[in-house]
Amino acid sequence: MIAEKYAEEIKGIIARFPNKKSAVLPLMHLAQHEYGYMSQEAMREVAEILDLDPTQVLSLSGFYSLYYEEPVGKYVMEICNDLACALRGADQFVDMACRKLDTTVDATTEDGLFTIKTVMCLGACDRAPMLQCNLKFEENLDEGKFDQLLARLREEAVSEQKSPSIVEKIVAYAK
Amino acid sequence: MSDLVTLTIDGVEVSVPKGTLVADAAKKIQIDIPVFCYHPKLEPVGMCRVCLVEIGLPMRDRATGELLKNEDGSPKLSFRGLQTGCTVAVSEGMAVRTASQPVKEARGAVLEFLLSSHPLDCPVCDKGGECPLQNLTMAHGKGTSRMAFNDKLKIAKHVPLGELIYLDRERCIQCARCIRFQEEIVDDPVIRFHNRGRSLEIVTMSEPGFDSYWSGNTTDICPVGALTTSDFRFGARPWELTPAASICPHCPVGCNTTMSTRREAISGGRKVIKRIMPRQNEAVNEIWICDKGRFVHHFADSAQRLTTPLIRKDGQLVEASWDEALDLVAGQLQKHKSAAAGLASGRLSNEDLFQFQKLFRKGLGSRNIDLANRQLGGGEIVAQVGVGSGTNLKDLGKGDAILVVASDLHEEAPLWWMRVKQAAERGVSLVLVNGRRTRLDKFAAHTVNYEPGQGLMTIRRLFGLAQVETESTRDDQLAAAAEKLIKAENLVAFYGSEGLTFDESDALAKLLGNLLLIKNGHNHTGRANNGLIPVWPHSNSQGAWDMGIHPAYGPGYAALETPGLGAAQIYAGAASGDIEALYVVGADPVGDGLMADRGKLSFLVVQELFLTETAALADVVLPAQSWAEREGTYTNGERRVQRYYPAIPAYGDSRPDWQILAQVGERAGLEKPAFAASLMFKEIAKAVTQYKHMDYRSLAQVEKQWPDVGGDDLYYGGNAYENGSGLGQQWMAAAESGAVERFEAPDIEPNSFESLPLIQTRALYASGTLTNISKVIEARLVSPTLTVSPADAARLELSDGDVVDVAVNGASVQAKLSVSKYATVGLAQLSGVGSGFVSGTAAAEFNRVVESEKELA
Repeated sequence: MIAEKYAEEIKGIIARFPNKKSAVLPLMHLAQHEYGYMSQEAMREVAEILDLDPTQVLSLSGFYSLYYEEPVGKYVMEICNDLACALRGADQFVDMACRKLDTTVDATTEDGLFTIKTVMCLGACDRAPMLQCNLKFEENLDEGKFDQLLARLREEAVSEQKSPSIVEKIVAYAK
Repeated sequence: MSDLVTLTIDGVEVSVPKGTLVADAAKKIQIDIPVFCYHPKLEPVGMCRVCLVEIGLPMRDRATGELLKNEDGSPKLSFRGLQTGCTVAVSEGMAVRTASQPVKEARGAVLEFLLSSHPLDCPVCDKGGECPLQNLTMAHGKGTSRMAFNDKLKIAKHVPLGELIYLDRERCIQCARCIRFQEEIVDDPVIRFHNRGRSLEIVTMSEPGFDSYWSGNTTDICPVGALTTSDFRFGARPWELTPAASICPHCPVGCNTTMSTRREAISGGRKVIKRIMPRQNEAVNEIWICDKGRFVHHFADSAQRLTTPLIRKDGQLVEASWDEALDLVAGQLQKHKSAAAGLASGRLSNEDLFQFQKLFRKGLGSRNIDLANRQLGGGEIVAQVGVGSGTNLKDLGKGDAILVVASDLHEEAPLWWMRVKQAAERGVSLVLVNGRRTRLDKFAAHTVNYEPGQGLMTIRRLFGLAQVETESTRDDQLAAAAEKLIKAENLVAFYGSEGLTFDESDALAKLLGNLLLIKNGHNHTGRANNGLIPVWPHSNSQGAWDMGIHPAYGPGYAALETPGLGAAQIYAGAASGDIEALYVVGADPVGDGLMADRGKLSFLVVQELFLTETAALADVVLPAQSWAEREGTYTNGERRVQRYYPAIPAYGDSRPDWQILAQVGERAGLEKPAFAASLMFKEIAKAVTQYKHMDYRSLAQVEKQWPDVGGDDLYYGGNAYENGSGLGQQWMAAAESGAVERFEAPDIEPNSFESLPLIQTRALYASGTLTNISKVIEARLVSPTLTVSPADAARLELSDGDVVDVAVNGASVQAKLSVSKYATVGLAQLSGVGSGFVSGTAAAEFNRVVESEKELA
């Protein structure tokens, strides 16, 4: 239950808005961080905290692409394959990434570490192919850099289970 | 006038109030600007684009600010492309073109676009025939499509959003009317959009799905057949239906409805009710009804209905002819005369109730008549200081106030809840004085939750505070509330009897009457939009007062010199033998626990739709017609007398209640029965002074209403029925024609409690003779439930889901415990049990019978 685990943080986030229900997006990020994705239970928890109907939370998670309604890997790699990126080889890059991880778009690798998604413009067309991994941009990619990225993330995954920095980010975001 | 704006639409000049939207201004002069997402009862959003029009504004000289003129002297206009007529407000000198070539092209394009993912299954669609999309496509569509049929979306067509409403995803044109209605109008945001673009769909996550008392309204305002009710879905085509105007028989609001009927093979060739929809009455229910009014009608066509008179022979109820039964009843009643008594319910029509008291008072010389279960007092107070005629809750706004005492309008009278909520949103100061939290709290300016048993004392204090000129001390809610109420330009006070005994509710009405009578600037009685509104338990409890179904009052509130026996004395008399014969009409005192058995009665006659527990004990059972089979009038809590009309033929050999009573009366020496309900009403108008200006013709009068949504246009089809059958008439309270004296309110000692006190709360979907038959709402019926706060549950050592034995005054009932963080601490609430189980606020004992399964698991 995020209500108990992050009681202080939630109080802080809610306090920053004139209307309690405005805290819904940061609390959804918090819930997603806790559970790995926006499960129906996570939605109900957020709704309960903010006196919303769970349908309202579901609607938001469907509207925004950064909330995942299905379980995802520890690292979600969102590769932009919009027009400009496609012209710089984004589609080939997606194929290469899937081949390398032995997976398909929207699926998660067997070790539970990686999910590849394709997304619309992330605003970094001049540095394509690029992707966003757990909200962090990785730009001017090629196969070599992608290998380095995977190696770094696999190392990180062994050393720590969850990065607390995201919670801090969420709290900071609400400031 | 300065608040009027003049513009031209297609060359026609029109003046409308400032702020009017172009689409509405056009509608006022019968120029059609088609719409899908726009609805005059909802905030405009401009999502669907079908209302695109060309809008030109007068040009001005930049230097001088003078209006520029053409050579012919007409003002020079600047047209800047197409704009949505539903979001642009009118302005002075504006010119609108609604039928130009660019407009026609845009309209055609929007329709072509909407149809590109529409299934065009009109031949099997419930909306087909009254469908705005179908109508507008026929009128404005291109007739051809560039749609690539291979790309047509094939998505789910039978998605249950709960068991009442189904979604057809293919038909949805994503106008969000349903979502906006649920959020803006009724504050139940339980349906929403999910995903975007072509993946967009309407979803619900509430438990049960689409958890709202208002869900049916979304199927009316849906401009396509995307939302349908499980009750009517695939039931009939709109053009096969015959409409009959009616009044909802379930609560004191008196919503105007239309029953759509059809004679059909699957019902054995009978004419049956296929659906109930709202009928526009802007002073009562606007264009809405609650789901109870919409879905609880199946009792009228239930196979359990009584079809012939029954007479007890050799201990068995056996079928008999009407003549035999009526002769027997009249003979027996005449034998017992003044030892006979009559009990009726507030569900009967005015005609029935008038004839009922006439039979007893004139025919038998007995004064012993009453309502079987009188739960709320104050009828004679309402007759004096009830809301003034012409009252329309929609007219209340800033500077006005509404007081609600001891009532949960959301459960007891949903349409009043909606209209009070909307009034609060318009700026009316809403003051709530209740024993617990209710669904209105979040809209209130002041909420006073009194301690259990202290309701009456709290109102006494409020009255005291209102009497003195106070500059409110801000920390005292009650003082602040009193100041708001007394300084309000208009003041309407609703009162109910939750947690109050009958005597307390009677005293409450008097105290509130006195509060309204305080002269302090504004007069709060005798004017429209000022006065009392009682939240009666039944649709025609008001009529029962008016007709004199009271041991102490005759028709028109004529006080009787020697009152007869009231219901409590009649029940006691039946048990002791003092009352020898009892006539029960439309009530079930045995089933409701008011009467244990037939006691020492030598004769019991019951007039009913069903073989109720009381009827099963009777000597004679007379089958009555339901409200759907006959004519009549109900008087609502705002004292509006409204007519309803026959929709389906009589079930079996049943007869209208008033006719049966008149036929008994004729045999007991009264005159021949009237042959029509309208003639009965003429008799009422003669006997009840308050009704003297009314007859069936005046009650059927209508006038043009705004917004115009039931008419012949092509885009509000299927919304609500136009009202062509009567808006009803409100009768004048005494305060409107003369001064009213203050009322003498008796002192009633407040209770205090050592253990957790209990009140009974009303639930809209309480199970009962009528509701149980509508299978469609079966899953939502409230089973006996005891609700307490977590703190109280801990104190009682009970947990959520336990089955608890609740014992009050020697009676007991088993209820499931619901522990809710929203429950008021220090008060237990019992719902879903027969009315009258708990009287007022009572001491109770709670014992666990079955432990919650949650704990065992």
